[in-house]
Amino acid sequence: MTVPPRALRIAAVVELVSLAVLLVNLATVHWPPLSSLIGPVHGCAYLFVVVLAFRSSSSTRVRVISWIPGLGGALATWSRVWTGGSRCPA
Amino acid sequence: MTKLLLSVHVLAAVIAIGPVAVAASMFPAALRAATPDQAALRVLHRICRVYAGVGIVVPVFGLATASGLGVLGDAWLLVSIALTAAAAGVLGLLVLPRQRAVLAGVRVEPSRLAAHAGVFNLLWAVVTVLMIVRPGSMTGV
Repeated sequence: MTVPPRALRIAAVVELVSLAVLLVNLATVHWPPLSSLIGPVHGCAYLFVVVLAFRSSSSTRVRVISWIPGLGGALATWSRVWTGGSRCPA
Repeated sequence: MTKLLLSVHVLAAVIAIGPVAVAASMFPAALRAATPDQAALRVLHRICRVYAGVGIVVPVFGLATASGLGVLGDAWLLVSIALTAAAAGVLGLLVLPRQRAVLAGVRVEPSRLAAHAGVFNLLWAVVTVLMIVRPGSMTGV
């Protein structure tokens, strides 16, 4: 697989954007309903990233960095290891 | 906001767990055929694999809902969480790998696959009943 799967790229963007929304909300108006809605969205995106990274790459590097909170998806997507084989195509 | 979280939780449970329960049960039946249809087996495995991933939404939004309702420490919920974890374990460690093995040409007993699918479905049935009955809860039906 030469590129990260589309689902991983989408999950990585959602992970990063939802975290940004949470932090901006926290630093500005701190509207609780927004936190309680975006919080689970971010949590889902994080877990999607970890699962998709494990499924789509046999690279230990990609799998380990996918665990990094907030940035894991983006770092896994940008990783240069997307040239190796795919254990189970997503 | 809790109502929205609960709606997402229930919707995700219906959409994600339903197909996995059905496809996981159909897989051994399709395998038992005299000449198993490889395309059908592949589709059933794909349904199980993809919707198992979508199923991540269910516990995440479930925890958020429970947190909003202030019931995170209730016994019925803790038991449900444990059973959900067990169901996820059965799916991720037994059902999906054995289906993958079948597609790779390894011989796997259909009865074993059926048993795993049955355990998965039973665990989810118990969790669903716990979610509705909520033993010990003051707000139940």
